[in-house]
Amino acid sequence: MPINDNHNALADWQSEGVRATLKLTGHFNAHTLGGLWSTTRNDQTVWLSSNGASCQLSIDLAQVSYLDGAGIAFIIDLKHAQEAAGGSLTLLNLDKRYEPLINQYQPVKNLFPTDESDHHDSTNLIERVGKGMYELAEDAKLQTVFVGQIASSIGWAIRYPRQVRWNDFINVAVEAGVAALPIVSLVAFLIGVILAFQSAIGLKQFGAETFVANLVSLSIFRELGPLMTAILLAGRSSAAFAAEIGTMTVNNEVDALVTGGIDPIRFLVLPRMLAGLLVAPILSLFSDLIGVFAASLTMLAYQIPFVTFYEAVLKTIHVNDIMSGLTKSLLFGLIIAGVGCLRGMQTGTGAAAVGLSATRAVVSSLILIVVVDGLFAYISYKTGF
Amino acid sequence: MSIQVNSIYKSFGDFKALDNVSLEFPTGKLVALLGPSGCGKTTLLRIIAGLETADSGQVILDGQDASDRHVRERQVGFVFQHYALFKHMTVFENVAFGLRVKPRRERPSEAVIKKKVHDLLALVQLDWLADRFPSQLSGGQRQRIALARALAVEPKVLLLDEPFGALDAKVRKELRRWLRRLHDEIHVTSIFVTHDQEEALEVADEVVLMNQGKVEQVGTPDQVYDKPATPFVYSFLGSVNLFHGRVDGEVVHVGPHQLVHGGSTVADGSSVVAFARPHELTISKDPESLGVYAVIERVLTFGATSRIELIGLDINEEKTSQNYEVELTRLEVASLNVAEGDHVYLVPKKLSVFEHKGTAA
Repeated sequence: MPINDNHNALADWQSEGVRATLKLTGHFNAHTLGGLWSTTRNDQTVWLSSNGASCQLSIDLAQVSYLDGAGIAFIIDLKHAQEAAGGSLTLLNLDKRYEPLINQYQPVKNLFPTDESDHHDSTNLIERVGKGMYELAEDAKLQTVFVGQIASSIGWAIRYPRQVRWNDFINVAVEAGVAALPIVSLVAFLIGVILAFQSAIGLKQFGAETFVANLVSLSIFRELGPLMTAILLAGRSSAAFAAEIGTMTVNNEVDALVTGGIDPIRFLVLPRMLAGLLVAPILSLFSDLIGVFAASLTMLAYQIPFVTFYEAVLKTIHVNDIMSGLTKSLLFGLIIAGVGCLRGMQTGTGAAAVGLSATRAVVSSLILIVVVDGLFAYISYKTGF
Repeated sequence: MSIQVNSIYKSFGDFKALDNVSLEFPTGKLVALLGPSGCGKTTLLRIIAGLETADSGQVILDGQDASDRHVRERQVGFVFQHYALFKHMTVFENVAFGLRVKPRRERPSEAVIKKKVHDLLALVQLDWLADRFPSQLSGGQRQRIALARALAVEPKVLLLDEPFGALDAKVRKELRRWLRRLHDEIHVTSIFVTHDQEEALEVADEVVLMNQGKVEQVGTPDQVYDKPATPFVYSFLGSVNLFHGRVDGEVVHVGPHQLVHGGSTVADGSSVVAFARPHELTISKDPESLGVYAVIERVLTFGATSRIELIGLDINEEKTSQNYEVELTRLEVASLNVAEGDHVYLVPKKLSVFEHKGTAA
């Protein structure tokens, strides 16, 4: 239908003291209300100003044939004026079909919603600490579950050794072990040289250069060899494991394994764990030897011959010292492989998540290595191992 | 195997991914889970597969509660959007993988595996690619290999997560026809997730429409298209013209205009949204007709049909922000004699009315 101008609207204003009635008749929309609105409001203002508060206005809607948003706005305007002056307004004979409309147009409620006070974006310190603790607890839970899964898969590997993926194990061991030899030897060599020089400078003042051999060999075998190797492995292999498994997680390959009926712990984690266990002690023994050799070369500059040096080393180092270092690096190997795989499995979605996992793997394994090293130092001190 | 899910809830932090979802997937049917991104369809699929656990609710496979059963024991085949093929294995090894890693007792002999893999590769029409690596294949080929790999372990249920989402339009079209034929051949109960309505309507036996973690409608493709149950379904499936107004007896008031609707259950006086598809509208020049006033913006004719784009006009004959679209046959357009710039009335042949749930603006 075209624009409808053959409809009319009438508003009949009658006031008597503090009571007034407004009788609305006809079709109320934006077009028909034009003049009515201002004249009625004028009537109301005059009436309100002469009668003051406690004015009661009732609007009779019995004769209304049509009412839309404009009509509702008109009524609400009257109501506001009424309330501003301290009076009241009642609606009489409102057709039921307009009720939802009235309820819908509640301008105050819709335009100025009361803020839900229990919702706030800014977090205070206590809240952040609480959240942090919660996340830490969740992470600890996941790690505990992971340790359990690994333990059970190692049990499985002992029972069914032929089902372990030995091919993967060898590949990982070559990649993490053989390929790490150059960097491990370089670092061990330099550590040996530096340690020998530094201690020789101090001991020379007392004429005790011969004891450099004892000092250097003991600290390398017990402490520095395993620790430096572990740090290098954490940087190389822990990050690599996290990135490899992380990429598979992001690409849904891990999900594909699971739906194909394969346990990703046995399939992906176990070979890496076993490789870590094998590689870390071997590498650390290797770095021990390189370090001591470097120290003996350095001491040539102080006129201490090889023979003297090695005599002193053999007298100082017992099997216990070597075993202590190797036990420690066995633990380090477990930590490096385990943390790398765990962070890889925890990878979120998207390529950026892989980088994040690699970083987290390195940081977590370094922290754990230092903590375990500290604990081990305490145990050695107490037990003499 | 039939699948049933009962009142599944799942939320990620504050976000409700699934909100009381109950569905039944009949045996041997291909069902599409259709909805916009983030509506929870993939989450539902992963819960059925067992890759995620629901916060509450049950997954019933073959009449047995499988909520606590591990993924490995559910016997599902899962196809991922980005194929998830093992990169370091050849196509043959990828497909054979699920069989080769079985425990020795259940593992078939190497000859059986070889035959089975070649049969599967023949089924997906790619047996000539057996020795290639995944990186040497096109996207469509990779997805078919992924499907073969999923089928290798003889799953009782096949779940496909936006299987054609990463492919270009032409390959998608080919592959979905191919998937339909493949399903007719193997008849494994299958659920596939998609946000492409055309894909869902073309391929599936049954369509489940989801929005914001809830099921909006379940039905055959024809049912959901012809009788949408909710405003969401109406606007999600195909293009649509939308009128905001208020019901008053036989008509819907839209601004100063009135539209006749074919009967509705909505109470008089409540504000509504009314929908009409482009082919459910006609154009009239008669000022007495009950319709919405609009001006013709463009008339596009291709083949037998014409598409007319219009913009609404207010009482001062000025353009509003409302756009409309009408589809008429070429003959109808000729007989109406309309041209760009004409002021006309849009008269619905069929109008579906739904209560407007939002707040008044």
